[in-house]
Amino acid sequence: MAMNYNAKDEVDGGPPCAPGGTAKTRRPDNTAFKQQRLPAWQPILTAGTVLPIFFIIGLIFIPIGIGIFVTSNNIREIEGNVFMYYGLSNFYQNHRRYVKSRDDSQLNGDSSALLNPSKECEPYRRNEDKPIAPCGAIANSMFNDTLELFLIGNDSYPIPIALKKKGIAWWTDKNVKFRNPPGGDNLEERFKGTTKPVNWLKPVYMLDSDPDNNGFINEDFIVWMRTAALPTFRKLYRLIERKSDLHPTLPAGRYSLNVTYNYPVHYFDGRKRMILSTISWMGGKNPFLGIAYIAVGSISFLLGVVLLVINHKYRNSSNTADITI
Amino acid sequence: MGHATSPPPAWMENPAIKPLGSENLLLRGATLKNTEKIFGVAIYTGMETKMALNYQSKSQKRSAVEKSMNAFLIVYLCILISKALINTVLKYVWQSEPFRDEPWYNQKTESERQRNLFLKAFTDFLAFMVLFNYIIPVSMYVTVEMQKFLGSYFITWDEDMFDEETGEGPLVNTSDLNEELGQVEYIFTDKTGTLTENNMEFKECCIEGHVYVPHVICNGQVLPESSGIDMIDSSPSVNGREREELFFRALCLCHTVQVKDDDSVDGPRKSPDGGKSCVYISSSPDEVALVEGVQRLGFTYLRLKDNYMEILNRENHIERFELLEILSFDSVRRRMSVIVKSATGEIYLFCKGADSSIFPRVIEGKVDQIRARVERNAVEGLRTLCVAYKRLIQEEYEGICKLLQAAKVALQDREKKLAEAYEQIEKDLTLLGATAVEDRLQEKAADTIEALQKAGIKVWVLTGDKMETAAATCYACKLFRRNTQLLELTTKRIEEQSLHDVLFELSKTVLRHSGTLTRDNLSGLSADMQDYGLIIDGAALSLIMKPREDGSSGNYRELFLEICRSCSAVLCCRMAPLQKAQIVKLIKFSKEHPITLAIGDGANDVSMILEAHVGIGVIGKEGRQAARNSDYAIPKFKHLKKMLLVHGHFYYIRISELVQYFFYKNVCFIFPQFLYQFFCGFSQQTLYDTAYLTLYNISFTSLPILLYSLMEQHVGIDVLKRDPTLYRDVAKNALLRWRVFIYWTLLGLFDALVFFFGAYFVFENTTVTSNGQIFGNWTFGTLVFTVMVFTVTLKLALDTHYWTWINHFVIWGSLLFYVVFSLLWGGVIWPFLNYQRMYYVFIQMLSSGPAWLAIVLLVTVSLLPDVLKKVLCRQLWPTATERVQQNGCAQPRDRDSEFTPLASLQSPGYQSTCPSAAWYSSHSQQVTLTAWKEKVSTEPPPTLGGSRHHCSSIPSHSCPRSRVGMLV
Repeated sequence: MAMNYNAKDEVDGGPPCAPGGTAKTRRPDNTAFKQQRLPAWQPILTAGTVLPIFFIIGLIFIPIGIGIFVTSNNIREIEGNVFMYYGLSNFYQNHRRYVKSRDDSQLNGDSSALLNPSKECEPYRRNEDKPIAPCGAIANSMFNDTLELFLIGNDSYPIPIALKKKGIAWWTDKNVKFRNPPGGDNLEERFKGTTKPVNWLKPVYMLDSDPDNNGFINEDFIVWMRTAALPTFRKLYRLIERKSDLHPTLPAGRYSLNVTYNYPVHYFDGRKRMILSTISWMGGKNPFLGIAYIAVGSISFLLGVVLLVINHKYRNSSNTADITI
Repeated sequence: MGHATSPPPAWMENPAIKPLGSENLLLRGATLKNTEKIFGVAIYTGMETKMALNYQSKSQKRSAVEKSMNAFLIVYLCILISKALINTVLKYVWQSEPFRDEPWYNQKTESERQRNLFLKAFTDFLAFMVLFNYIIPVSMYVTVEMQKFLGSYFITWDEDMFDEETGEGPLVNTSDLNEELGQVEYIFTDKTGTLTENNMEFKECCIEGHVYVPHVICNGQVLPESSGIDMIDSSPSVNGREREELFFRALCLCHTVQVKDDDSVDGPRKSPDGGKSCVYISSSPDEVALVEGVQRLGFTYLRLKDNYMEILNRENHIERFELLEILSFDSVRRRMSVIVKSATGEIYLFCKGADSSIFPRVIEGKVDQIRARVERNAVEGLRTLCVAYKRLIQEEYEGICKLLQAAKVALQDREKKLAEAYEQIEKDLTLLGATAVEDRLQEKAADTIEALQKAGIKVWVLTGDKMETAAATCYACKLFRRNTQLLELTTKRIEEQSLHDVLFELSKTVLRHSGTLTRDNLSGLSADMQDYGLIIDGAALSLIMKPREDGSSGNYRELFLEICRSCSAVLCCRMAPLQKAQIVKLIKFSKEHPITLAIGDGANDVSMILEAHVGIGVIGKEGRQAARNSDYAIPKFKHLKKMLLVHGHFYYIRISELVQYFFYKNVCFIFPQFLYQFFCGFSQQTLYDTAYLTLYNISFTSLPILLYSLMEQHVGIDVLKRDPTLYRDVAKNALLRWRVFIYWTLLGLFDALVFFFGAYFVFENTTVTSNGQIFGNWTFGTLVFTVMVFTVTLKLALDTHYWTWINHFVIWGSLLFYVVFSLLWGGVIWPFLNYQRMYYVFIQMLSSGPAWLAIVLLVTVSLLPDVLKKVLCRQLWPTATERVQQNGCAQPRDRDSEFTPLASLQSPGYQSTCPSAAWYSSHSQQVTLTAWKEKVSTEPPPTLGGSRHHCSSIPSHSCPRSRVGMLV
């Protein structure tokens, strides 16, 4: 990269730049920046400065870790709201072909995208010459088992537990990202000209009776549409709300789970699970973070001690060396 | 470009052959005077124009850093390809079960199904290549270029390298080699004009053994009564007087000086002789000095008019000589001649040149006396020239004319033929005398050389001067010290013994000490040992370089290199310009491939400037050729110190961190993607959103490293200048060795593993929100990405030693920008996108406690090993730089006890007996501070107020390593 080739240099052998006016202009500015003398903080990572940091990390991380660990272990107690999940394993929701197989415009209620879905939805784009709504592999493979929970009392019938369908999807998804196509009150009318996904039993406008939970804004659908990060995943299915402070949400007793089995997983060697869990401020049960915090804190503390020893020993040896001078 | 001839008709009638030479050349911008028109021949057109030739001859110089960069790149390319291959193979292994390849929920389209298997595999391979291609840091090249371009401004802006006298600052002609300035192992320097001022001053002349010294000069102004002559010897005889005048006339006539009659010019060379003021101009400052010197001795050269040279003799009579021929100077012949015809019709040939080229051609004159004087002067470092003459009779002259004419009009080998003609003409001369011109050392030249040698750089002086002159200069500028044992490899010695014997003898001398030398090198005290200086001259060099007939061609060269390696300083005298380049090339391609730097000021240095890894031109008196062809130009030799020790060191530190950091951050970036393939069925699913993929290198992590690579100062400028030994810490591309590179790569891999599996275990099969809702794959990627951006930026923050407000702004600003961008990117449904996958992902992530905890944890874990490594290395195996960094912090605290009674114990003569005392001045100073810290009261001893300079000579006998760490 050639630079600073000014015309003055062209004159070969000419007398070097006349003194006086030109000299003044060519003289570089005496600014701190140009002279690389900007005031600066010059920290150095030495054993002395790092030692306290190691100890501090140790002292902070270990209690946090213990706190997390305890919280995580306490989650089993069925107090407060209980969350019901279904889990699938060996299901690759994060496969590239699968992840991209959706049309966010269609799901956002765009009427042109409704009738002409994106090419990404192939081969789940059209069926029998009609556009599929919602199109794509994700929507097509929506989990459609029905889970019901019953408390088996001492004597009589099993009592069904009230499962809340709403509030399981992200608020922004339900209220902004997913929109039904525009039109009148009749949802079926709005989806006119489209057909249901091949694997679905019912069309999209018949997912739920509640108009606020039907069509694209059906929360089960929205939850499914958020593709999981890993092949073994769980998704929120229902909420079991606590009725009063006095009784536990799910009192001790025998329960039965009724599964309406629609969803095939054997083909891909998959497994289904149902998980009931309470949630603390830090989510579900997960010992990893707590253990990791305790481990890192301890290691850091240990390293601090080791460094201290090295530092001390080293200082001594250098002291003796100095005395011999 | 053309040649002015006589009017056409005469030329038509009388076809005479006229030579066209360089003197007929009209350069761009010439104006036509005194004639209506001229005939011209266009020459040097097309590819032969100066521009085109320069373009060709300037070969692409690439720095060592760039070379290692490319090597690293190849490694990464291999990693990229193997990653893609591994994934492709694994994909097909994994897919061999049909339910995995195409489960019911994820069917392929018909066209996908029908695609040929090999085509599919190939497209998969390419898709993996695209996915992982970010591991090749393309943006690194952009950043490196920007860093080099912007960084080079710091050189041009440097006030310390600005020369007040000439009003010149440093020039940067290429910014590609900034970091190479920090890697220099050999410096080849020209002497005249580079080490010395090239400000010639006529000292004395010796005519037939009588020495004449013009009166002293005061501040460059000759005193009015200076026209007298100091006779050192007894007064000459009548014959002698004739010779004396002839000598002066010879000096007045035998030159190519031009006189500039201009009253308005207030140049420095105003003629002192009353009336008319005139300025002498010449391409060679020696000539000007000689003409001026002679003027002070009574003979004034007035002008060249109509081919007549006019001189004013002592009696104030004007003598006119017709200038018949000029046999111009060249560096091979090392002499020039003029043939003039005096008013009385006598024809003289005056010849002036180096003693070695004059003495063999002399048949008469007091050769021995003059030779003795010349040698004495040379030892004192004066530049000597010998003057001889020959009287020609008319026939001889005509013969010469013919000879010259034939040579000049030759179309082929003109130069060679001219040289032969000159050879024939300039012989059988009568020696008249010799002149001595002093060329003072440049300011701080010795200091600079000393510092450079301490920095572990070998300094070679390459000069065309004779050995004694050059050796004297070398002593003066401390290249050779008093205790340096000089080894001579000169023509004179080779004449006595065979080259073979001399070389073997020298190598034996040198190698005898090498055993002890290597041992001492470990403790860095090699300077204490005998150090050698080698003197070699051009003729001996060409013998060494000449390939042997018996096939053992490289043998002498190797031996010679072996000797050179053991010498702390080498002086090459009597060098032709091409030989200078040859020497540079020899060292450049020797087996260690050291980085060479050539510095010179004249056109004769251009070849070596172009040859060396880094060429530096001194903006000097001999035109700007060197400065133009150089990579960097500086006004004075002393500026080299700051150029290398400060700027070079900084640039190297900066760019090496830049390179390593770029590879590191891209490993961090891409390796999680690689790992993710194992969890997504090798489907090329990206972990991060497209915007993150694109912006990671462009905006999230680009500015901090760019600004780091512009601003970083791991130690202060003053420290670097004060302690040149720090330069050794970065020698031999120390920060870009494979070991370091592997460390950075492994660190990147470790960090990537931490990011990915940290996020994996946090996400694995659990809820991480307080409302029970579930995160998807984009949140997972965003978590990994967030941890990564923070880790990578904080890693740089840990490496930054110089936090100006700009660094703060850029580092914290980048992180802030990342957060703001993510909030914005996920906060809006972007109508131009056909996907909304990032909508509220980042914000949702931030609403989760475990995500915060995970970010803190993972960033800490990622940074911990690096911090630990740094601290341990610093503690257990500190480099000199690291010691200085720590000591630099401690200094202000100890300032009060800086001058301790220990300094006064110092005997004044100590330094000369033990030169290494000053060598480790900074360390030894530190010793005193630490050892006396507790004993000395905070009050400075009153008697030692002004003894600051003493502390540089405090003796220290112990190993420097043991002294450090006290101030930790």
